[in-house]
Amino acid sequence: MNRLIINRILFYFGLLLAIALSSISQAAPIIKIEIKDHLFYPSEFSVPANTKIKLLIINNDPTPEEFESYELNREKVIIGNSKAVIFIGPLSPGTYPFFGEFYPKTAQGKILVN
Amino acid sequence: MRSALLLLSLVFVSLSSSLLADGIVIDKIYHPYVQPLEQELEIRVLQQNNQSGIADNTRLYRLAYGRSLSDRLFIEAYLVGQGSSSENLDLQSIEMEIKWQLTEQGEYWADWGVLAELSKGIGNNIYEASIGLIAEKEFGHWSATTNFVIEQEWGSGIDDELESVFSLQARYRYSQTLEPGIEFYAGQNSIGVGPVLMGQAKLAGPKKLKWEAGVILGLDSKSPDTSVRLLFEYEF
Repeated sequence: MNRLIINRILFYFGLLLAIALSSISQAAPIIKIEIKDHLFYPSEFSVPANTKIKLLIINNDPTPEEFESYELNREKVIIGNSKAVIFIGPLSPGTYPFFGEFYPKTAQGKILVN
Repeated sequence: MRSALLLLSLVFVSLSSSLLADGIVIDKIYHPYVQPLEQELEIRVLQQNNQSGIADNTRLYRLAYGRSLSDRLFIEAYLVGQGSSSENLDLQSIEMEIKWQLTEQGEYWADWGVLAELSKGIGNNIYEASIGLIAEKEFGHWSATTNFVIEQEWGSGIDDELESVFSLQARYRYSQTLEPGIEFYAGQNSIGVGPVLMGQAKLAGPKKLKWEAGVILGLDSKSPDTSVRLLFEYEF
């Protein structure tokens, strides 16, 4: 019984993985965010609901910053003078705050989903 | 990379009919993400009772230091100690582990990572190498994470054998400090399910203290009746 259950789980997991890998990521709209002097530019912007979005974050400061949002379930460290990509969504309508974990007093923003 | 992963998935399907070997299967469930510049100190404790072939009240301790090598690779070194009702706590093995984040979070239908580990017994000639696939999928406020690990043991102190372990965690993102969830583990002589609580406390700057606590109940007579697992992780 034990082994039968395990075999079934492994079989379906492998099958699920094969199916998942056969799907191709759709091109997502890109929004560019720059970090300068520990501030996000833009710090507030709108995106459509139920759409996957690609955030291109460019850190112009020499120090690292971490884009963090519990509401978006995302955290990503961007090394100084470099860039990183974060995929968000599809999201329900609402407001999703984010902040820079290294400089949380200044680096704050929000995404309006409508 | 897609082809390699597809091949791995087919290997998993074929391994579903292989024999599973003895061992303690309840452990941390890994997430596929890596952050650059991250370092961590970690302690894990597992206590389980009443499992056939394993001393009663076995306690397993893991102390680790880890750091990221890039935005995709994370390496961690462990000291593993074990004790029980009949044996004093003793250093059992050393381990090296590397995690490779394969995809960006949210880029594909699910997020993927690979985990590889090599361990060497202390005072004996027992080795173990493992490789595993990590997958995570977000469903609204829920996140589901699976780990599937294949382990090969060898050396003069043990029979060569192939083991595999499957684990699943469903986590509800209630708040940063408290996330309830449920975990399921399956390996030879051990199949169990139980509740877990997780959370993190933010400290100064990027520093965090993460914690996990769970109670896994055996689902058959071969499994440990109860396994209690604790984890504390200091990220800096």
